[in-house]
Amino acid sequence: MSNHLALVRALVDLAGNPEQADAVRERGHCVVLAGPGSGKTKTLTTAMARALVEDVVDPRGVACITYNNECAIELENRLAALGVLSSDRNFIGTVHSFALTQVIMPYARCFPGLLPADFRVATTAQRRAAVESAYLAVFNDRFDPHDRWSFAEEKRRRDVDRSLPAWRGINPELADFIEAYEAELRRRGLIDFDDMPLIAFGMIKAHRWIRAALQARFPVLFVDEYQDLGHALHELVLLLCFDGGMRLFAVGDGDQSIYGFTGANPKLLQSLAARPDVREIRLRFNYRSGARIIRASLGALGEERDYRGLDGAPEGELTFYPVMGGHDAQAAAIAETVLPALLARGHPPEQIAILYRAAWLGDKISHALNGRGVAHVRTDGNALIKRSSRLARFVEGCAGWVTGGWREADPPYGRLLAQALALVYGGRASDAEQETVSRQLIAFLRSSIDAGETTHTWLQRLCRELVAPWRVLARNPQQEWEICSEMVVKTDPAQDKDMPLNVFSGRIEGTGPLSLSTLHSAKGREFDAVILYGMNASDIPSNRDRKSAGALREARRLFYVGVTRPRKELAIVYQEGHHSPWVAELYQRSQQG
Amino acid sequence: MRLAKLSIRNFRNFQAIDVPLAGNVVLLGENRVGKSNLLFAVRLVLDPTLPDSARQLKLSDFWDGCDLAASPEIEVHLHFADFDDDAALVALLTDFRTAADPAVARLSYVYRKKPEVAGIPQSGEDCEFIVYGGGDESRAVSSRVRRRIALDMLDALRDAEGQLASWRNSPLRPLLEDAIASVSRADLDGVVADLEAATKRLENFPSVKALETALRSGILDLAGTAHDIDARLRFAPADPLRLFRAIALYIDNGRRGLAEASLGSANVALVALKLAEFAWRRAKNERNYSLLCIEEPEAHLHPQLQRAVFDKLFQSPDPAQALIVTSHSPTLAAAAPLRAIVQLRAAGGATRAYSLASLPVSPDELDDIEQYLTATRSELLFSRGVIFVEGDAEETLLPVFADAIGHNLDRLGISICNVAGIHFEPYVKLAASLGLPFSVITDWDPLDGAKPPLGKARTLGIWDAYCTVTGTAPLTPEQRAQWQAADFAGFSAGWRQAGIFLNDQTFEIAVANTPGLQAALLDILEEQGFGAIRKARIAAWRAGAPVDPAQLLAMVADIGKGRLSAKLKKKLAWNLAPPAYVAGAVGYVAARV
Repeated sequence: MSNHLALVRALVDLAGNPEQADAVRERGHCVVLAGPGSGKTKTLTTAMARALVEDVVDPRGVACITYNNECAIELENRLAALGVLSSDRNFIGTVHSFALTQVIMPYARCFPGLLPADFRVATTAQRRAAVESAYLAVFNDRFDPHDRWSFAEEKRRRDVDRSLPAWRGINPELADFIEAYEAELRRRGLIDFDDMPLIAFGMIKAHRWIRAALQARFPVLFVDEYQDLGHALHELVLLLCFDGGMRLFAVGDGDQSIYGFTGANPKLLQSLAARPDVREIRLRFNYRSGARIIRASLGALGEERDYRGLDGAPEGELTFYPVMGGHDAQAAAIAETVLPALLARGHPPEQIAILYRAAWLGDKISHALNGRGVAHVRTDGNALIKRSSRLARFVEGCAGWVTGGWREADPPYGRLLAQALALVYGGRASDAEQETVSRQLIAFLRSSIDAGETTHTWLQRLCRELVAPWRVLARNPQQEWEICSEMVVKTDPAQDKDMPLNVFSGRIEGTGPLSLSTLHSAKGREFDAVILYGMNASDIPSNRDRKSAGALREARRLFYVGVTRPRKELAIVYQEGHHSPWVAELYQRSQQG
Repeated sequence: MRLAKLSIRNFRNFQAIDVPLAGNVVLLGENRVGKSNLLFAVRLVLDPTLPDSARQLKLSDFWDGCDLAASPEIEVHLHFADFDDDAALVALLTDFRTAADPAVARLSYVYRKKPEVAGIPQSGEDCEFIVYGGGDESRAVSSRVRRRIALDMLDALRDAEGQLASWRNSPLRPLLEDAIASVSRADLDGVVADLEAATKRLENFPSVKALETALRSGILDLAGTAHDIDARLRFAPADPLRLFRAIALYIDNGRRGLAEASLGSANVALVALKLAEFAWRRAKNERNYSLLCIEEPEAHLHPQLQRAVFDKLFQSPDPAQALIVTSHSPTLAAAAPLRAIVQLRAAGGATRAYSLASLPVSPDELDDIEQYLTATRSELLFSRGVIFVEGDAEETLLPVFADAIGHNLDRLGISICNVAGIHFEPYVKLAASLGLPFSVITDWDPLDGAKPPLGKARTLGIWDAYCTVTGTAPLTPEQRAQWQAADFAGFSAGWRQAGIFLNDQTFEIAVANTPGLQAALLDILEEQGFGAIRKARIAAWRAGAPVDPAQLLAMVADIGKGRLSAKLKKKLAWNLAPPAYVAGAVGYVAARV
């Protein structure tokens, strides 16, 4: 059920921005092209709530597809505030989980032989093994199967519709490789992540009734971060919305397309917006950043946009920190100079982020901060809590509950149980099954309260008492149980990585922690102040970026994403005399009116 | 949407039944055969008002023949078809499509031993129930689905008056609430003022005032001032929002309350209000499909009223509701669409179900049968056996012949079905589908001897019709050729085993050729004191002129079948026997009922 009052308030909120208000009230296909800070998530969530109140009649609902689980969790929270819950009626999740839970799981069994019964999602090791045996069968030479697979993978993600001539017309040997790989997976009762949208696409394309069933259930399809979602989603959208009667509401920003390596392509969003049957709405206001930062960001992008800041908003601060020396010296400078300066200007630590290109740089900065006792949370590949892992987020929630959250039901036990059930059973479970999981969970949680365990020992016990029995029960084909043992390793006291449980759960008295994030993971987030770390000529763009024009453009968009995160202050750290060419362009553009 | 199939396993009277359905269902069957149990089975799956404590069955609910040591399961499966044109129903049912046929959704109830119980279950508590869909136990059917695809029950012992009189249960309540909600508060207040004035006038009558005072003091006396309930005599509550609860349905132009109506009228009103309530719930989007179960809707209704009511109910084109009724009424059975009829019959400790939903007849044949089953002949549906005959002569004389050989067809529950011609196939299909034992009396019709007798092809056609319905293996081409070549003696002796009884000429000739039978008949006719022409005819027939069947039957009709039967019986009782093939046909069915 939607909360009408919350919706009315949200609509009033948008009234001052005619572009947002138009988008929210649009009843045809609509693509919202939204620059940084333009309130695109607010527009999307309000449009969803409005559709559920005004356009879509219970028991029908809406589907909302987004880039990854982290975005999905964020959207769920924003929608919950508007009274929209991810229930029987609505779907909120990634394109993979849409394909799996809304198409493959309900309907694949109608087509004998399509998939093995009780299929599982392959682990990394299983995928590598399948690549190797497929390579042996198709090529059987002495080269590295995985090198070749990276090309095959690109083709697999691009050529979604295999009935087209391009599938066998170009690089037919890669098509053989891919088919052998998939056959190998099936032989072992497995599918992989890329399989999910591909299988769903094939089913929806071949069977009109599946299209009709999806349309009946979800008359409106919302897509967030369209530019990051790649060919498989694009083809699904074309089928469902332009051939299957669903209404499309897509939001995206081609300038922030940074997932080319997963098959994303900003041109797909452009082609969608250019369709005559789609209304294109541009959100031009940047509510986030000061005018100086907006100007600088256009220099970072290297293209002009008609984005405008709010009248009367502060200009924003832009500081450059040339450092003598490489990454270590830059990290030290941040810990000793840049960060204290920001803190001195009154920015609370939880409103400051340090952004960098790769997780190994996160290690360096984390090390530098540890040396000075600065609390921080990481959201990169080496983060202790993987932001896009539902299991890791569940573990984090449990830690929050046992370190005091149980008193004020933050998080509520009911939510933890629902998450556990989703992890174990994929959402649907009998009363007895729910009872079993609930008993195990509450027993573990209660025994953890005031047990005086460190994070490491607590995680070990969690692995033993929850993950081990749940692994056996698990029916959810999409499993990530090893995440938990990885967390145990990452808190190894022998390497001095252990910490009190309340630090792990982020329940620390006083101020919150500083954020460390890769540029990729920072997309969609905002902070008062942002430090860009390692903006060196050899790092952004790197040699690899320079190999192709497309990769170079994408690296530049990544830089642009970093520059557009701060509200008030941007600090750029680089090696003196060795700065990225884009830093120079940024500086020059920021000096113009 | 329509109900397409019901399957029950091991529940009360039912060991295993699979009943094809065609939307509405009319359940016929003798007392104690399990009609109410079948309805209860459907409620286990669908009834939103049935509490879990009722869904938790008992060991005594297992079919008597179950061996509890073998861990039997009670199963009820309900199949729905044709829901794909209603988006709301698709949204509710699409997860429950069957693997074998995606156009069909299946909802199931299963009651069985808990997995943790070892050995034989000792009580109902050792067992558990689950309600799921799509043949996949992990897909629980939520209460939301049951609320929206709901079942309402009017049981045999319903108290129509009581249900209409009590505010909480009255189907009138939601309708009234809705109607009153659209009346302005000012208008309501006006009504309150008017009623208040009327109440004042009432109270001003001295006798009323005295009564009220007496009642008040009586209550005060009993309860004391602290608990005084301040009772007053009024037409209606003074609270405008409660005012409408006093509104009731009155009959006879408002002169009498419904409680004074006949039981029949109250029942009609109840059913009509239930249907209005369904329509209202759908309009309010509380419900998407209604299944109304009525036990013995004929209760207290005169046949004419029954026909009017049931015609309306069964002809309703509303695809969002269906009716399941149990009945003993031939009038109802005649008004029901033939395909709605499901016959329950006990056999060997278990009840079997015979459905006409998929009776393999053409639309024209279906019309013929429905015409035939007018109210007076629909007793066929309630009979225990049938003898099919070609014409009026057989229909008239058969009961007489049967009596003569000691079988009272009425008492045995055997109907005679006159197909008025030789088109036996659809009727044979009907009898076979109902599981009725039957025999066929038909003519050899030898023609001039140049062509094969017509009776041959007819007999084989009847057998083919029987095979299509019962799944009996049809004749092989070799067998067919053998029968084509057989002479009368061989042919008729062979088919007698299958219940098809042939004479060598025609019925009339057979009667004439049966020793003593014709003379006895003519004796009776002569005693009737007919006019000169008829007397002359009888004399001529006695003298050996060929009997004119039309004239003979006209005379029999004038005597009346009953009287003729009695007279003939007296004469035959001595030493006369009916033609052997007729006696065989009667005996064949009599031995099987």
